Amino acid sequence: MKPGKRELTLAGAIVALGLLPLFGVPGFYSAGNLRNLALDNLPMLIAALGMTVVILVAEIDISIGSLFAVCGAVAGLTAKAGFPMPLVVVATVAAGAALGAVNGQLVTRARVPSIIATLAMLAILRNAIIYATGGAWIQDLPRDFQWFGLGQAAAQPAYLAAGGMLFVSGAWALRQTSAGRMFYAVGCDHEAARRVGFNPPGVVRAAFILMGALTAVAALFSFTRYPTIETSAGQGFELQVIAAVVVGGTAITGGRGGAVGTLLGVILLGMIGTVFTFLHVNPAWSKAIQGAIILLAVVSDTAVGKRTVHV
Amino acid sequence: MSRKPNRWFPNLEWVLLLVLAAETAVFTVTGDHFLTASNGFEIVRLAAETGLLAFGLTPVIKTGGIDLAVGSMMGLSAVILGGAWSSLGLSIWLAAALALSVGAAGGFLHGWLITRLRVPPLIVTLGTFSLYRGLAEALTGGYVSYTGFPNAFIALGQGYIGGIMPTQLPIIAVVFASIWLFLHRTAAGREVTAVGFNASGARFAGVAVQKRLVSVYVISGLCSALAGLLFVARIGQAKADAGTGYELTAIAAVVLGGTSITGGRGTLQGSLFGLLCLILLQNGLRLSGEPSEIAGLCSGLVLLVAIIFNQAWTRAQKHGQVAQMRAAAVPAVDSESFSMKNHQIAILAAAILAGALLIAGTNFYLVRSMAGGARAAAPQTHRAVIALTPKAKTDPYFVSCKEGADEAARELGVDLLWDGPDDPDPARQNEIVDAWITKRVDAIAASANSPEAISSVLRKAQARGIKVVTWDADAESNARSFFVNQATAEGIGSTLADEGSRLAGDKGQYAIITASLTDANQNEWIKYIRQRMAAAHPGMELATVHPCDGQRDKAMSETKAIVRAYPGVRVILAICSPGLPGAAEALKQEDRHQVQLTGLSTPNLCRSYVEEGWIQSVVLWNTRNLGYLTVYAAYAVDNGDLKTGDSHFTAGRLGTLSVAGDQILLGKPFIFTRENIGGFHF
Repeated sequence: MKPGKRELTLAGAIVALGLLPLFGVPGFYSAGNLRNLALDNLPMLIAALGMTVVILVAEIDISIGSLFAVCGAVAGLTAKAGFPMPLVVVATVAAGAALGAVNGQLVTRARVPSIIATLAMLAILRNAIIYATGGAWIQDLPRDFQWFGLGQAAAQPAYLAAGGMLFVSGAWALRQTSAGRMFYAVGCDHEAARRVGFNPPGVVRAAFILMGALTAVAALFSFTRYPTIETSAGQGFELQVIAAVVVGGTAITGGRGGAVGTLLGVILLGMIGTVFTFLHVNPAWSKAIQGAIILLAVVSDTAVGKRTVHV
Repeated sequence: MSRKPNRWFPNLEWVLLLVLAAETAVFTVTGDHFLTASNGFEIVRLAAETGLLAFGLTPVIKTGGIDLAVGSMMGLSAVILGGAWSSLGLSIWLAAALALSVGAAGGFLHGWLITRLRVPPLIVTLGTFSLYRGLAEALTGGYVSYTGFPNAFIALGQGYIGGIMPTQLPIIAVVFASIWLFLHRTAAGREVTAVGFNASGARFAGVAVQKRLVSVYVISGLCSALAGLLFVARIGQAKADAGTGYELTAIAAVVLGGTSITGGRGTLQGSLFGLLCLILLQNGLRLSGEPSEIAGLCSGLVLLVAIIFNQAWTRAQKHGQVAQMRAAAVPAVDSESFSMKNHQIAILAAAILAGALLIAGTNFYLVRSMAGGARAAAPQTHRAVIALTPKAKTDPYFVSCKEGADEAARELGVDLLWDGPDDPDPARQNEIVDAWITKRVDAIAASANSPEAISSVLRKAQARGIKVVTWDADAESNARSFFVNQATAEGIGSTLADEGSRLAGDKGQYAIITASLTDANQNEWIKYIRQRMAAAHPGMELATVHPCDGQRDKAMSETKAIVRAYPGVRVILAICSPGLPGAAEALKQEDRHQVQLTGLSTPNLCRSYVEEGWIQSVVLWNTRNLGYLTVYAAYAVDNGDLKTGDSHFTAGRLGTLSVAGDQILLGKPFIFTRENIGGFHF
């Protein structure tokens, strides 16, 4: 796997940004802080893997912020109903996949452009959960909900290992298996993919189902760090995830990009806030800086050389 | 079947007219005073800013592009206007011109990045979505809000021409007409269409593609900046959070109006109809007494159904064309079966749409007639309608207020309407109150997101004979009769400061986790915390103020970073309800016993952390009682039991409370600790 230009640019940006805390308060590179950063960005990484696949097939899913909250509520309600934790996981992932399948059906069968279909789903799911809960949190969950009952000391490394393994195997499968390559094929050219024997609508549906299931996994990684469920969580999550994926170099026209770039995109966007906290920068600036970095990252490789020009 | 595209409705925009007719029919029955001229003009006012964004977005989307930054540009334009007028001392019109030119410059930047550096529009505007909003926050530190604009400017957003027509109407009419002429009656407009269908093809046909693209983004930027100005004029304050979330509604209106997201197809009148469909739905459901999440839900459904219908119809038309071509060459049987299918699809789609509206209509009708029947069965007394608006509906603090409000409404036998924005957004709160005025509720109780913004509509309510009280956060005193006062901002700030300083042992640094940097309430509290610390606790020093955007998860990660990056911090004050449990979880996971934690939240959310000793204390009043008292007060003001000059007021189970001037006092803020928290459940 040869690193592309975007990956090199991003790696350079991460190193440059990573040098800054050396001039600030010590402690950024302590094991605890790095573990916190990894754990806090794990949900984003998992969702970004799904988003990479969706964008690879030249679609987009902006419903995942609401989907995230719905999956959290499903996890909370099933746990409260007395389901054992493995069943809670199954139910949550199934709910995520089912809602992803709805998106997929809307896009492929009803031929609604994905940005519109998922925009509608974003509104429907978010308002539905407000209607259902009235904004109240889900409380009085069983004791083994937080950290799956493992206790924090055991759970944190387990989460990192599970999340890491999920991401690595996903990235590997996307790159090296024929099932993974079919997403690239369909994203490059539906007609060509069809001629060589793929079923493009089926592949697009698979991408949305995967997105839904991975959003559910992300929700589990996020919500099980707490003893209660905040039902208004996940607002704006979709745009952060899309930003990480496109900064990571996956082309929104489909067919180009991959999980390595996405990983670098998540690292870059995930570390900005903490780096500036350690530099004691006024938080009022953080959003502007983040926007500037997104723009710089996406224009840098086209600005330097025009080898990858499309249109 | 006609092959010639319909001149005015090439993309099935007439379907939207049907939807509009259906909405009007349904809401005339279900809503109160829906079909009145004043409500018609109210809808114009509601639609003005989103409309400007949608009109500006139509040419952009028609080229196959998108502009996600329109809402952020509204915020930037508002801040530029306020800053230039108030800090630089420019005249208001010069400041407005400056804001508009910033809008144009922002649009030009989009066009430049898209055409010169070939970055896809979605990505460019995703970046500037953060950048523009971030600049607006950075310029004002998030918390500065400019108010006190000259009346001539405020009239743009609040005035009426001839006593009835909102000032916004001529403005958006002019913008609509100019963009319509540009898009549909000029060569440049044809070029926009050509670029949208096929940019390379257009280039070979002699279109200056790059110039055309830059021009549509400049138009979009200008429209967003103008929308920002109207927004400021409507709510009377300029702040960095203007227009948050408006981009999605505007995009929804445009695509609902038949503009193809892939470019080429679309009309401006379509966007207007799409916009009206969404706004009418929102307005009509509010007047029917439905909470705003129902409107959000229905908007999503209407968008889906309309686009599905449009796609099915377009495909049927294409099949029809193929069939006709074949019919010329082969026997006619084939074409018969094809056109049968067309009709079937069309009828099926129309039936689904009609069915959906019918179900919606009958549901409302049923609910209403049942409620009406119940009313008729009861003795012929008027059942009072009391409307409460919280600052933000999903905030757990207000969720627990609502429990008390419901309890009081049951005891008093009144109809309670409870609605507010999802996040503390003054503009949306004004819209909700405006709808209640049209609905002619008996009393309105508002917890003001912004005193300047809400006061204009509250005064309007009083002028129409509706009784107004405020609760939780006061408006201007001439805009309401009483304020149900749980604690003043100063009282909250001082209590938090004293508590924080006590926990830290009167010495060391403290950090604050706030909701968002633009949150008016929290900023007020922070001001008094700092004042009190400086005056009474000189040993305490503010390390930093970090926003958690009202999300527990962000509060946790920020707190983890703060305790590491600011090792001198002895105490953290988390002053929003999701923020305190988030910060507590962070301390628990970090195992930091030496950092003390206090703040504002509800006991239920913090109970386990207080019992485990991660939160030393929670400062709050009894929110359940606050909601309860507010409904009692509004009811008493409405039926004349509570008048100006009264010194006592009896409110159900709360007994007799003292009234000081025009304030009803709930009592002092309460400090919940490990010892007493077990006795409170809200």
